[in-house]
Amino acid sequence: MKTIALYSIKGGVGKTASAVNLAYLSSQSKPPTLICDLDPQGASSFYFRIVPNRKFSSKKFLKGSSKIYDNIKGTDYENLDLLPADFSYRNLDIELMEEKKPQKKLKNNIRELNTEYPFIFFDCPPNLTLLSESVFAASDIILVPLIPTTLSLRTFDQLLSFFRENKLDRSRIRGFFTMYERRKSMHRDIVAEYSGQKQFLRKVIPYNSEVEKMGLYRAPLNAVRPHTPASIAYKLLWEELMNEVGIDNS
Amino acid sequence: MRAIPSPLFFRLPETSENLSQLFAGNDMFLFKPEQKIKETLHFYDTFDWKTWKANNQVILNGKKLVVYDFKGHYAICSAPFRRVPRSFFPDSIDNKEISAKLGRLAKLRAFMQFGSVETLLQNWRLLDDNRKTVATVEFRRLSNNHQNDGSIFLTLYPVRGYDRFFESAAVRIRQACGNSTEITSKGYYQALMKDAGVTPGNYSSKPSVKLNPRDTILDSAKILQLSALDILSANEEWIPKHIDTEFLHDYRVAVRRIRSILAQCKGVFPPDKLAHYKKAFRELGKRTNNLRDQDVYLLQEKRFMSILPEQMRDFLKPFFTDLLNRQKKELRSFTRYLRSDAYRTLMHEWEHFLRSDISSDPETTPAAKTTTVDFAVLTVGKTWKKVIRHGRNISTVATDTELHALRIDCKKLRYLLEFYASVFPARTLQKVLKQLKTLQNNLGVFVDLSVQQTYLFDYLSSLEADTHAISFSAAIGGLITALHHEREETRQNFHNAFDTFDSDETEALFHALLKKSR
Repeated sequence: MKTIALYSIKGGVGKTASAVNLAYLSSQSKPPTLICDLDPQGASSFYFRIVPNRKFSSKKFLKGSSKIYDNIKGTDYENLDLLPADFSYRNLDIELMEEKKPQKKLKNNIRELNTEYPFIFFDCPPNLTLLSESVFAASDIILVPLIPTTLSLRTFDQLLSFFRENKLDRSRIRGFFTMYERRKSMHRDIVAEYSGQKQFLRKVIPYNSEVEKMGLYRAPLNAVRPHTPASIAYKLLWEELMNEVGIDNS
Repeated sequence: MRAIPSPLFFRLPETSENLSQLFAGNDMFLFKPEQKIKETLHFYDTFDWKTWKANNQVILNGKKLVVYDFKGHYAICSAPFRRVPRSFFPDSIDNKEISAKLGRLAKLRAFMQFGSVETLLQNWRLLDDNRKTVATVEFRRLSNNHQNDGSIFLTLYPVRGYDRFFESAAVRIRQACGNSTEITSKGYYQALMKDAGVTPGNYSSKPSVKLNPRDTILDSAKILQLSALDILSANEEWIPKHIDTEFLHDYRVAVRRIRSILAQCKGVFPPDKLAHYKKAFRELGKRTNNLRDQDVYLLQEKRFMSILPEQMRDFLKPFFTDLLNRQKKELRSFTRYLRSDAYRTLMHEWEHFLRSDISSDPETTPAAKTTTVDFAVLTVGKTWKKVIRHGRNISTVATDTELHALRIDCKKLRYLLEFYASVFPARTLQKVLKQLKTLQNNLGVFVDLSVQQTYLFDYLSSLEADTHAISFSAAIGGLITALHHEREETRQNFHNAFDTFDSDETEALFHALLKKSR
């Protein structure tokens, strides 16, 4: 099993869109795939038109395997399942603090799912909290979407420093640029400088209004509009990621 | 751990495929039809229906190869597969999961295409208020065959986490169509295959005849020989196609069975006929020897390669190329024989003989009227004792000849036990067979390794002195040495294997077997 977190300290950088599209591509090439929506806003759940069971809550989520198992839902796409987020997830951090080893919690909770899903994606809430630390411990790859702006790069540096200070393995972090607009010189310069550097993926997701329309389609863009520039870019990004992390494509 | 309900299958009489009619008056679901598509299903299985017998089904739909499980009613694994081959071997599939699954079902057999059926598919999504798919309904109509009764198959598929919707939909469909329309997944695939002209499960290489213990041995022997003859005729047309090695193997086993029964039929069949057919089937068996040997070496290619160090493996390639060429020739020659008048006549006369009334004559066929059970007990008892006697006489360091001879004795005993399986109590027989198989494994491995060594050695001797052949000879030499070590290990284990067979426990089992059946 490989676990991939879509994570950023900053909001609005395309975490959910990336999680949904990459998970969809993963379900096509390495079925089946699970997305865990960890954001109380429940955006990826919304994209898949999935509402959590009435009795599902952050408490159930923290209880682990069997509770998680019962609440996984099939999306409209074959081999792609989702664990929806509940609004109670806003309390996850507080509840995690009461746990014995909060950092290890997520890792332990999803352990039993590994027999079923070769790939699990985490769609994370923005911020750097105890839940984020739990996500870091549970993820093989931490994918960080970045808009090519100074603020975005600054949060990326903050993340790297956090890893350094806490002696976490930084080699698992991969940044990639989203919402890239070629007409903007700053975007061009930043992408030219960083893309392809050690901790960055080479493929860039262009700004595409179709991505925003995912909220109307309520479906992965790669499923409903596979030929738009953003869909094509996500496909290339997924292929690069597979090669990069040494996941064989067989 | 799979928490999803199994799909449900229905066979509907020819009505319209209109979902809203089925769900008339419903306020739970919205419906969304998908485009109608044509789908051709190709059914694969081994010649002896190993997948079907294991409650599985292999289907290729032109895009994907899917393995279904009838117990769980769902696809266990699937992989993209663009070709539509006449046959394939599990290890030729890139997808590891399918390759392993099919490999476990059938090691040596090829998966052959038994038939195809064209269908017309229409999927409907059942949606909730959020327009989220909560179940799917698939209508499948057979489109190629005018003989079919126009049935439509409906399959209701669940979506994980939406059991409540799935169950309501199931209730609806049952109400609208009647409970009797519901079929099992096996029934569903059986119906589809029937339309493709395929009836599964009608070949097995094992004799499965049921003998009446009180019948005369003459009648029983005839039945046994006819069932072996069936195996011959089932395989003879396939051997020339060379799809896998098991056609020839089953054929040879059947020939050996025929010979083995003939050997027991002294005083049962008229002596002149007995002598004639003994000779004829001995010769028939001989004709297949080379071909089988070549099959065995070619099957061992990977193992042989892995025995040698990596840098020597390539040197062995000419050996296998040479084998392949020889095999082609041999197959041509045996195919010619199978299609010859001589062979046809032999089979025809043999069948005629078995189906004719063979009058028993107290002088020439004194044993013909013995009951099957008496005959079975007598011959099994004798052969078993022979195995024990011969085995005990084997010297501390068992010689090749001794082990070869004992292997043949064991084979005879095995065949007898299998022939009369329906006469003996099944449980005891199974235990006896298990004991015997362990001993046979040891002997089998030993003899195979011996034969392989001799073959390679003869092959080496036949090579012309040629400088190019040095590395090649070294590779063969290395192989012979490795096989030699393996064989000596097996030889050392022989006494252990025999002692387990020659134990009080096995003896008690045999006594029980022979006594109970009287």
